[in-house]
Amino acid sequence: MRTQLRRFGGVFLILVISIIIATAVGSVSIPFRRVVGMVGSKLPGVGSLITPTWTKAQEVIILQIRLPRVLLALLIGGGLSVSGVLFQGTLRNPLADPYIIGVSSGASLGATLGLLFFIPQGLVGIGTLPLFAFVGALGTTAIVARLGQQRGQLESTSLILAGVAVGSFLTAIVSLLMVLRIQNLQDVYLWLLGSLSGRGWKHLLVALPYVLFGVMAALWLARDLNVYLLGEETAHSLGIDVQKLQRRVLVTGSLVAAACVAVSGVIGFVGLMIPHALRLIVGAEHNRLIFHSFWVGALFLLLADTVARMAFSPLELPVGIITAFVGGPFFIFLMKRGSGIHD
Amino acid sequence: MTKLRLEEVSFAYGSEPVIKEVSLKLEAGVFYGIVGPNGAGKSTLLKLLDRYLLPQSGTIFLDNRNLNSYSLRELAQEVALIPQTSHYFPFTVREVVQLGRTPFNSRFQQPTLEDSSIVEASMEATGVTHLAGRLISDLSGGERQRVTIARAFAQQTKVLLLDEPTTHLDLEHQIRTCQLLQARSKQGVLSVAVLHDLNLVANYCDYVFVLNQGELVREGPPGEVFTPALIEEIYNVSVPAIYHPKTGRPIIVP
Repeated sequence: MRTQLRRFGGVFLILVISIIIATAVGSVSIPFRRVVGMVGSKLPGVGSLITPTWTKAQEVIILQIRLPRVLLALLIGGGLSVSGVLFQGTLRNPLADPYIIGVSSGASLGATLGLLFFIPQGLVGIGTLPLFAFVGALGTTAIVARLGQQRGQLESTSLILAGVAVGSFLTAIVSLLMVLRIQNLQDVYLWLLGSLSGRGWKHLLVALPYVLFGVMAALWLARDLNVYLLGEETAHSLGIDVQKLQRRVLVTGSLVAAACVAVSGVIGFVGLMIPHALRLIVGAEHNRLIFHSFWVGALFLLLADTVARMAFSPLELPVGIITAFVGGPFFIFLMKRGSGIHD
Repeated sequence: MTKLRLEEVSFAYGSEPVIKEVSLKLEAGVFYGIVGPNGAGKSTLLKLLDRYLLPQSGTIFLDNRNLNSYSLRELAQEVALIPQTSHYFPFTVREVVQLGRTPFNSRFQQPTLEDSSIVEASMEATGVTHLAGRLISDLSGGERQRVTIARAFAQQTKVLLLDEPTTHLDLEHQIRTCQLLQARSKQGVLSVAVLHDLNLVANYCDYVFVLNQGELVREGPPGEVFTPALIEEIYNVSVPAIYHPKTGRPIIVP
């Protein structure tokens, strides 16, 4: 229990320091102390004790633009990683990631339909884009999960194949729509690349409940997942309802991934790399794996997003480019090194 | 005394019948072997005994209670299965054996002192204590198999089902595994192993069931069952009648 508390404390400290640093740096650099002061001044209780030493413009940059974006990067990074843990666990495949069963293509189609048909007509506002993506992602997961069944049981290979097939099909529809309705191409394209640019408190609040719920559910399922990794027959013989577990894990993983995709677009490789690397470091035990994947994934995406903001400042790169840049070589490294999992 | 009873159990994958009206009676303290050619339904029979598969007709009774009436967790406290294939993720050996205690603990419960001592004793019994901190994914096939058996021992069930526990093992480990199971049976566990090696069955099992094309064709002590005539009938191989000079048990070689 003591070591656990120390672990939590250490991680909390690292996250707080990273938040302060990442919020302070940018095209306009603001001293750390002022950043802490600004956040402090908004807190109940201590807020009245702090006298502002900063301009209104600085406060807007920090509190309205950078801070929500930094927090969102942490949330999405952690969420995608935990989602990756769940998919790799339930498919018993180290190369699975949250997008393998079509979450991203479903979300893309949802978002594209929204951008092309509903939002320009003024039927709904641009703020509802995440909702379209979300519905698309969950709908696709449901279809793929149905197709991935053999004799009423989810079967890993069928599921992955169904995911790839449905994914390509949906992506083709997205491409077709984009070609036919060229005027909004840019919006959809940028969204598909995955970016945290311009995301604010609203987006954070949209994703937060799903990601938090997902992480809690993942921890709740951790023990059963450990048993499940030994094989389905073994898990059954240890009292685990295998089908129920698979369903729960898939739903949880998809929900988290869909929420992430909905607010940030398709940010690849985080959900693949982080759980895999951590499995090599901390082992396959899921309580540990989920905990460490969350905070490492959170920090990784924050770092990637900070690089995306800073590298060609004032031009911003979509963060998906940075993660793919790191992820591509990592994937090849994994392939060459072997999966770390043996049948 | 633990008892397992099958009454006219049939099972089919789709329209393909695999087990045809098999009736068996098994009791604690006996080491049972199930033999038969490929596709005879041996693994299917074990999966039925663990309720991983449900029979299309017929009933299985554990201690005179219908197997279907057990909850999954109750069943896991009574019956342990070592399947033919397992997956090996980077868990430490102790973590794997600890998972054998799953049916006895609630979700977030830390292992009790009793759990820990059962885990240690199980590793001791299968000779893997020195590997406790190693990753199972780094071990050899023989070592992994012993860890898997330790995991099943940690479950402390009255019934132990094993699907080809000696494949991939060298001669020494084949014999050690069989001796271990034999000893476990003597301690009152009802052990059932599907084995391909008839000589291992002849040497270590107390009682053998012969399956062929989903039907039970013969049962009894191996000395009575393994006659040249039966081997010829089941495997299409003619063998001479040879007996071990010390134990008097049959030896099956062409």
